[in-house]
Amino acid sequence: MMHSLLLGSLIDLGGTGHYIHWGFIQLSVANLVVIIAMIVVFALAIIIPFPRHGGKDK
Amino acid sequence: MSAMRKRRFNPDRDVKEWSGPSIPYDILKEAFVALVAVGCLVLLLAVVFSSPDEHAVTLKTWSTADPVDFAQTAITQLDGTSPVATYGPPYNSTPGAAQHIGFFEPAQWLGTHQAVDTAKDFVLGPLQTLPGDAAVHQAVSEYEAASSAQRQAWTSAYEKAVADAKDVNGTLQVPPGPYGPVGTIIARLTSMAQSGALDGALSGQGQFYNTNYTKPLLFIASGNYLADLAGHQHLQGDQWGMMNETGNYPGQAWLWLYTMWYQVAPMNSSSNADLEVWGIMMVLTLVLIFLPFIPILRSVPRWSRVYRLIWRDHYRRLAQSRVARPQSVSATVEPTS
Repeated sequence: MMHSLLLGSLIDLGGTGHYIHWGFIQLSVANLVVIIAMIVVFALAIIIPFPRHGGKDK
Repeated sequence: MSAMRKRRFNPDRDVKEWSGPSIPYDILKEAFVALVAVGCLVLLLAVVFSSPDEHAVTLKTWSTADPVDFAQTAITQLDGTSPVATYGPPYNSTPGAAQHIGFFEPAQWLGTHQAVDTAKDFVLGPLQTLPGDAAVHQAVSEYEAASSAQRQAWTSAYEKAVADAKDVNGTLQVPPGPYGPVGTIIARLTSMAQSGALDGALSGQGQFYNTNYTKPLLFIASGNYLADLAGHQHLQGDQWGMMNETGNYPGQAWLWLYTMWYQVAPMNSSSNADLEVWGIMMVLTLVLIFLPFIPILRSVPRWSRVYRLIWRDHYRRLAQSRVARPQSVSATVEPTS
């Protein structure tokens, strides 16, 4: 029991995959989630202010 | 006329020396923080989701799960009509099989540098390694001693018969026919595969640790079993399989462009698709490398003005100082088109 808990994952992503079909495009839901996450991180990288170090411009 | 011709200022090519303000930035600190953050994220995701753990497909699992498909494939390895036997370079020299675009035929130029004789390497050779099996050794000897026409008659008869073969509790049952020693050869090869011995015979390199699975993979890839498994997991070339992973795991999303070309005409029906897609990606890669030298394309970052969004604080301050001191800041303003 302990071994299976340690060696297994908390969330099992095995099994039958889920896919989105749009015309000739086939995209897995997992890939779509990763792509959306990348776009969000990119947007945040632009939106979040550049960190300042407390000093003035030199 | 002076030797040094003065060129007109081009904002995409020429840069004025920056004389405005600057701020210190510790890039090593940023790299360390990023490393720690990504490391923690990887650890967390590994604990929560683990990783795909599909069982390996071997000749043993294939021949046990579907002995009929195995036998139907094995006979094509014996008579030289399997996809591997007719693939061309680097495995053999089948005329016209190498992918090409006009005269550009790299596989043909490199030649057969990993020769595979499917009959000898996949069927007859492994069977000869079976110890103490007089029946199969006699069948192999009879097959090898026969004329080419006789062999073809036997293999053709077996191909017809094996099309109606049945899997009875894991045992291959082929209707009788005039296929001579070929029946014994394929039956023994199937039982050899089911025992796991064929995997060992094809992948054995005489070393304790084996890392070369080329031959068993080529054999397995000739049948329908692996293709069906791949299709079920959306891993086929016409299913955008290059960017997919098994189950619900995310795959190689960054390969979307590479695999997209395989889905559109004419590549989706071309026998030279691999070479054509490779060529397209090489052209696009060259465009990316030489982007700073390509007119119009190199101006897109300046026209899109995304840089002004990233450095919006700087441009806000610049605009404010322009209002306050329009003359003194003019030297620090970036050239604009």
